[in-house]
Amino acid sequence: MAVQPEVKNKTLLETALGLADDTFTRITAGISAGEFRRMLRGEAPGKPNPRLKPHTEAFLLHIKPTYYHESVTRFTHTFRLGLLSTYLFFVETITGLFLMIWYAPSPDRAYSDMTRLLSNVPFGQFMRDLHRLGAEMMIVVVVAHMVRTYLTGSYKAPRQFTWFTGVLLLVMTLFLSFSGYLLPWDQLAFWAVTIGTSMADAVPPEIVGATVNLLARGAPDISANGLLRFYLLHVFFLPLLLILFFFVHYYKVVHFGISLPAQEEEVGQDTASKVPADRRVYYLPDVLLDETMFLIGFTALIIVLTVFFFQAPLESIANPQSTPLHTVAPWYFYWLQGLLKIANKMVAGVILPGVLLGLLAGIPYLDPNPSRRGKDRRVAIISGIVAGIVMGIWSWMGTPYYAVRAAPATEIVQELIPEEGAGLVRELGYSHLPNGIYDTTKEMLPEATLADYEKTNPGFVELLTEFKSLTGEFDKEDKDFNEPQSILTISQEQPHLKRIQWTITWKDAKGKDGKFTRAFFIHEDSMYWEQYGLRDFSYLSKPEKAK
Amino acid sequence: MRKPWYFWLYVRSPIAKILLGMLAVLISFAALAAQGMFENKRMEAQTDNWHGRSVEKGAEIFSSNCYTCHGVDGKGLPGVAPALHSRYFFTQRMKDVSWTGSLHDYIALTVAAGRPSKSKSQWSQIMPTWSSKYGGPMREDQVEQVTQFVLNWQEDAMTQAWGTPVITPTTGVTGTAGVTGTAATPLVTLDPFQPFHDGPSKAPTSTITYTVGTLGAAAVGTAAAISATLPQTAAAAPAGPRPPQELYVAMACSGCHKLDQDQTPANQGQPGPNQGNLHETAATRVPGEDAETYVYNSIVNPSAFVVPGYPDGIMPKDFKTKMSEEEIRSLVKWVLDPNRPK
Repeated sequence: MAVQPEVKNKTLLETALGLADDTFTRITAGISAGEFRRMLRGEAPGKPNPRLKPHTEAFLLHIKPTYYHESVTRFTHTFRLGLLSTYLFFVETITGLFLMIWYAPSPDRAYSDMTRLLSNVPFGQFMRDLHRLGAEMMIVVVVAHMVRTYLTGSYKAPRQFTWFTGVLLLVMTLFLSFSGYLLPWDQLAFWAVTIGTSMADAVPPEIVGATVNLLARGAPDISANGLLRFYLLHVFFLPLLLILFFFVHYYKVVHFGISLPAQEEEVGQDTASKVPADRRVYYLPDVLLDETMFLIGFTALIIVLTVFFFQAPLESIANPQSTPLHTVAPWYFYWLQGLLKIANKMVAGVILPGVLLGLLAGIPYLDPNPSRRGKDRRVAIISGIVAGIVMGIWSWMGTPYYAVRAAPATEIVQELIPEEGAGLVRELGYSHLPNGIYDTTKEMLPEATLADYEKTNPGFVELLTEFKSLTGEFDKEDKDFNEPQSILTISQEQPHLKRIQWTITWKDAKGKDGKFTRAFFIHEDSMYWEQYGLRDFSYLSKPEKAK
Repeated sequence: MRKPWYFWLYVRSPIAKILLGMLAVLISFAALAAQGMFENKRMEAQTDNWHGRSVEKGAEIFSSNCYTCHGVDGKGLPGVAPALHSRYFFTQRMKDVSWTGSLHDYIALTVAAGRPSKSKSQWSQIMPTWSSKYGGPMREDQVEQVTQFVLNWQEDAMTQAWGTPVITPTTGVTGTAGVTGTAATPLVTLDPFQPFHDGPSKAPTSTITYTVGTLGAAAVGTAAAISATLPQTAAAAPAGPRPPQELYVAMACSGCHKLDQDQTPANQGQPGPNQGNLHETAATRVPGEDAETYVYNSIVNPSAFVVPGYPDGIMPKDFKTKMSEEEIRSLVKWVLDPNRPK
């Protein structure tokens, strides 16, 4: 074989370096090693700008603009919330794929698959917690993105349609989150979704509502069919729809450019797509670096939050026969639950949310003010803030603290040891619940024991104090709850199992006696957790069990 | 454009950005490594957690469905249902019925499918079918929870020692398959197993002793508490009159009557009337009979008067032979005491 002509003309080393540079340029879709080095050193590009090539060569870069206006690359203009919501969608897809490996959407298996995922799969709980945290964050980020866009008036001409697709994406995000809610098949999931789909039932006329409800549930009540449908919505239909609308939305964003801060241009002008040469910030390398480092930092944040501060809840298995006291919707639907308490299902569950959504989507078409400057938009900004406050109030009304208090005795017990979830007693746990009878009308603990517990078991002292003060509060508040006597009896039911017996007696307004008793059980090994807050790592110090 | 006041907060140097990014990567890896180090312990804790939770759920089911026949502490009620909280149950029962599977499966099967009644059974109640698979009210996971709850007695049951037979003077028919130990052997706690009469036990005669469940409610509490109360109970049982609260359980009254609930038109006890407010209602039942006479007659001759709405013939007619006159009197007095603990 003859020697290659290049090697004849150049040295071997030069040829090898040339080939390496060539390979590098192919991988970076057009950036040579020398140019890459100049990028890293912060040198200005030559003319014509060789750093534009990847935008035409590479698929992922061709949808990004080649340069931005300097003023919109500042973090505090957009807070990169749009990028963040896209990234969270990506995180949800990846973690969701891992979860799908361990999950079968059938009532026979779904719940036991969850407990198996938590107890037998390395990093299984991490994946689930991350998926759940990501979903909740995605809602926060998408809403924050919308609020930012509203406050800077960026929905105004020519970006009305961009806003409209954004509203659609918000709705899809909410539906995605809600459809995923049912999949663990626990009480929380089952009842939240039962309430949610029952709202579809209220859509007028009756035939439409009934049909929508039946289609969603797959049967008059949620069961195997309903679970399968929500699963397919969650992993297939809604993500595909969201991807489609994401591209529509993002195309519009790039097409019009990110709207400049209002002070940058005259009222009524839109100069975002005509960036003067001296104010251009190129995507490569500056914006790419910012975005990458921002996302890496954010990833570190969600990982740390998941490992130490967040645990997705898992309650008892779904039981269509028993509705837990104080069933609540996920927090981002509290406002809807609040509305449902003050109006009927058709008004609060269908008409009002429909009108609100219509108003939201129609904002750009309803707002005739051409100015995006804060001082010209007092009405818009104040009404936005008012809307936020109203949503807050409605959300508060959606919590159990508004309008659905049960009988005092039931509420006292529910407060300390709720039917589902953690609560004060379960968080204390088996080892901090000493056997005995604790009566609120008497001295609850002998003085010496009290002094001892304040040092060794302060949580239990707090529990007794809370028990007494709750009883006292309801005594004051409720005229049908007088002279209450609340007794907590903790006894050993079995090895490693304690019985927590509540006995509350009272007299109603007419002096008639009332009595409430309820027993709960707590096993030494069971752990209950709150969704937010520092995790309980006490299992790390547990002695190894003899098997 | 004017620089905002917080302009100094922006990270502008590319090197600083890259360093911060690298720091974030390090933090992520550290957090993941920490998680990785906990994983084995975490999975173990989670496994125990879900087992613990199913025992809790099983306890709830047991305390609302099973205790009426098997006793609040699972030690059975004579003539009603066998003891599950017993050493015999955990060690010998499976051998006696030639069950080759695990005890877990034996319990789960019995809970799920129930026990068909034999023509001649020592138990007055038949074990009903519980699993929805066989037409009962419980889901499969609930059957599993109850099973886990029953299995959780094992540790305590295994501390029960085979004791000398406790033969009450009136019953007479207690098992006499054999006697172990000498009187000098200290009793930790007695196995309250009552013989199943469905076949002779295959246990070597030298190791098993049948005893009659006379322990009843006295045996609720910690192992230490039980062992403290037991020797006296065991010793006293054949001799003096037994205390009424103990009789109430030992004679299986609690199998059908609830002491902690009132009998009202809205709350009718099943299978027998509630006795929470018996001191108020007893005197009104039969004209001419005061409360004490009525309750006494109801015990010794249940068919003399049957509360409307309840069938005749459920309540055993042989209490007069099982208890001494003195014991029946004290039981009547105790049941009618408005201040008795519920």
